[in-house]
Amino acid sequence: MELAQWFLMGVIFTIGVFGLTYLSLLVKLKWYTWASLSIGIVAILFGIGWAGASFLEGIAQSGAMALIFFSGSGVILMVLTWRYLVVPELNQPGTTPAAEGRKTEQ
Amino acid sequence: MSQNNDPNNRADEPETQAGSSQSGSEESVSNGEVLDDSGRRTFLKRAALGGGGALLAGGASYGFIKSELKGKPISDYPMIDEAIFKPKDQRATVLAFAHSQNLADRYPERTTQYSALHNKDFNFQEGFDVMYSLPWDNNKPGYTQMDRALQKAGWEPLVVAGSRMVANLQPDTPLHSWDQSDVEKEQYQFDNEKQAGDAIKSAARVFGALKCGIAKRDKRWDYDPLYDPENDQELSWENDFPFVPKTVIVMLVPMDYDCIATAPAWTADGTAADGYTKSSVLANQMAKFLRGMGYHAVGAGNDLGSSVPYAIMAGLGEGGRNGALLAPGIGPRHRICKIYTDFEFVEYDQPHTWGMTEFCLSCGKCADACPADAIPKMESENGGYGFEPNYEFSDEPGYTWNNHHGIKKFYSDSKKCYNFWVENGSACGACIASCTFNEPDMWHHVFIMGVTPKSPDILHKWMAEAHPAFGYGRTGDPKKAEKFWKTGEGMRTNTEMKNNIGTSNKS
Repeated sequence: MELAQWFLMGVIFTIGVFGLTYLSLLVKLKWYTWASLSIGIVAILFGIGWAGASFLEGIAQSGAMALIFFSGSGVILMVLTWRYLVVPELNQPGTTPAAEGRKTEQ
Repeated sequence: MSQNNDPNNRADEPETQAGSSQSGSEESVSNGEVLDDSGRRTFLKRAALGGGGALLAGGASYGFIKSELKGKPISDYPMIDEAIFKPKDQRATVLAFAHSQNLADRYPERTTQYSALHNKDFNFQEGFDVMYSLPWDNNKPGYTQMDRALQKAGWEPLVVAGSRMVANLQPDTPLHSWDQSDVEKEQYQFDNEKQAGDAIKSAARVFGALKCGIAKRDKRWDYDPLYDPENDQELSWENDFPFVPKTVIVMLVPMDYDCIATAPAWTADGTAADGYTKSSVLANQMAKFLRGMGYHAVGAGNDLGSSVPYAIMAGLGEGGRNGALLAPGIGPRHRICKIYTDFEFVEYDQPHTWGMTEFCLSCGKCADACPADAIPKMESENGGYGFEPNYEFSDEPGYTWNNHHGIKKFYSDSKKCYNFWVENGSACGACIASCTFNEPDMWHHVFIMGVTPKSPDILHKWMAEAHPAFGYGRTGDPKKAEKFWKTGEGMRTNTEMKNNIGTSNKS
């Protein structure tokens, strides 16, 4: 099972690298934005890897905590980076999908 | 393809934080278009660059962790206050005292003082009989007939071999016989000292050692005089021991993670007893191996000398707050055995640090978990770390008779520890189970072990708190015993420590 975990982690990691690479073709970002997104992805993957190992060793609580703290921190970092550094327009009033929907209804 | 969908064009756009690019992204997705040839090339180039960078970073992290797990050699061990330090009399150990009515008659104040200070009528010598006579309760997880059976089965090979007392400092038992009549006349000669050290460690691994280190014999750690509790006989190194030892080979045998996690339940003593059995067999085989090569050798469990300082001198770990040896990767979840031999053409190991003793200064989880309150708490003077005991009643004259004074370390009250065993009906192990360094053999624990020496003290406090928060190290939980008896399914926990980068300690 540990070997399977390492294999799956490799697959997920490769998908992460491909995702960031594809993003690099779509948008031009500052270096610190890339750094922030990369750290976020590594934190998410670290949490997933930790959780996998924890479930294998039978300490499910550790896996849950890892998903909350490591992966959760990574998700929050990526969301904040996306909203404030990649697409800051999303934070303008009336630009969220919900606001657009309300405009349409009016 | 629109200009916005052309990734090359997009890469040539002015460096902005990309509101317009976002719309391009949405367009790309909604149209379901793919990259053209040059776009694919750019994608693959960047993916290779990113993947290569990630691989390099991963390789560097692995190298860093592996390097940290080897530890750093230290020159300041042991720190000794020469004004206080003197060799340890084996009669001044709790387990030898508990097994000798003669010592009870000779030192009655040890019992009367303990009983008076703790306001109880405690008899050290009746302790083991009382302990094993406590009835089981099949409705109480960890204290059932099955748990008692596991415990007794763990000891059985030693009982059959007439060597059960190796755990209680009895020297010259059948498994650790002082008889040297089978030493080969021809002595095997090694080409160099490294070859000799490697050969000894290879043999140790074959016979079941988790780790093996080699130290010079050091009289400071030898019991002097030696004592035979069964026959009430004082023994001397010069007149009774069969040769002059030059080298002490120290080996660790692992205990089961899920079993020790049940502490202080009887279940935990199953793996402790098994650890004593396996370490005794290991020491017996290694002593025979050395005698077969023409050198004198005697195996030892807890007898002959203090195992923890010898293990530290052999580079196997560091001293912990709970008084045990903390070995990197496994913490205190092991048993120690030793070989005394006159073979000295060998590469000796050096004391190392992995930052574990320093971590103990910020942790204290074992002290919190100790049901006997026998381990110095964080709030103790100097955090419980010093040249003299500073636990409860340690200022009472003669009360610390069981401690080896004058060495800088954590001192615990093993009298209270033993007292709890008797009341509990079994040895405890809570300080082992709760230790932050007692982890299963998985990569994330190896990672944490590797970064610990480089992390600041403030982080140590956080890591110590995170350990129970992540579900590790809780003791006194009946569910742990129920869980242990289900762990056979799948045999989850690997006790072979294959992730611990070398089972035969190349320090």
